[in-house]
Amino acid sequence: MTIEIETRGEKTEHGWRDVDGFIGPMQPGFGPRTDPKGVFPTGPDIGEQLPAFSCLDVMGNPFDYAHDAKPTIMLFFRSAVW
Amino acid sequence: MSAFDALGISVLAISYDEPDALKDFQDAYDITYTLLSDPDSKVIRDYGILNTLIAEDDHPWFGIPFPGTYVTDSQGTITHKFFENNLVLRVGPEELLRAVDGDALSEYIGNPVSDTTDAEPKVFLKGEHLAVGVLQHLVCQIDVPQGRHLYADPAPQGMIPFTLTLDAQSKLVIRELIRPASEAHTMASTGEIIQVNHGRVELRLPITANGAITSTTVPTMLDLSGEVSWQTCDEDVCDVPRRSRFEFSVPIEGAVVPEFMTKPGNPKVRAMDGMKHFKKMSSRRQS
Repeated sequence: MTIEIETRGEKTEHGWRDVDGFIGPMQPGFGPRTDPKGVFPTGPDIGEQLPAFSCLDVMGNPFDYAHDAKPTIMLFFRSAVW
Repeated sequence: MSAFDALGISVLAISYDEPDALKDFQDAYDITYTLLSDPDSKVIRDYGILNTLIAEDDHPWFGIPFPGTYVTDSQGTITHKFFENNLVLRVGPEELLRAVDGDALSEYIGNPVSDTTDAEPKVFLKGEHLAVGVLQHLVCQIDVPQGRHLYADPAPQGMIPFTLTLDAQSKLVIRELIRPASEAHTMASTGEIIQVNHGRVELRLPITANGAITSTTVPTMLDLSGEVSWQTCDEDVCDVPRRSRFEFSVPIEGAVVPEFMTKPGNPKVRAMDGMKHFKKMSSRRQS
């Protein structure tokens, strides 16, 4: 899959306005504003099992996800820091 | 979180942040769902959603995912997923609850649905406010009387489909209209097969406010206006096409932005020391 970068935007007195009207300090297409234009990978498909995984909890302890008979909402977000 | 807890939903949120950054974030905002750390982006890679458009030496941005959300049923099977091209945008809690349990949320703004048998559309926003960057659905609902139908899109020549149009404005992000699945209907008089909807029919338009993510000047109210058009028919007769304007105001909840990007005194400023973590994150990724 070839993924294009969304670079449309314009500079305003408050920063760069992207194609959806959001204004930020960086130009669309660069750094944290490197968004895809058009189709991009979205991982496992509807109908598949949510894959098990291992990572860390907020205390730095190992966390293993395995299905536990509850509906699950799994969010992948950019960052809590910026 | 109470609505999610009440439905027995497990909520996990994962990012490439270090654990201590997430702990500060959790404490600052009294977050009760599970925050998870993937500092080397291994889970993000394994899921196949690493943002590969960012160069590996572009620190600290490299390592983030294409942000998105998966919803599973109680068997762990993915039933819905929500991804947006713009990383500022994310699906709102109303739609996540709806994905798990239908219309679990009762709050709405606008023109609520009443128990009517008339084919009169109602337009309303699910939720208590419109949050900057959070997609919510503007819902248009109509109860089609028994024995009649609405036309799906595209409608037969000379007829009009059930359609919701929102007036464009610079502070609003409007995504593609979501239509319900239509049913094939054979006209008794002509044998023609047409696509229609019966019963309660909903159109859903994902929208959000864009505001200005580094500004404190996010408006407190936003006016929504637009038009609904529809036409009901039975086997023999069609009503004349109808159009109806709607207009109402919704409160706007401003964006939460990193403190080093905000002005002093901004009530949305974070309680956590974001700059400390930002420097640590940048340093670790450059080493």
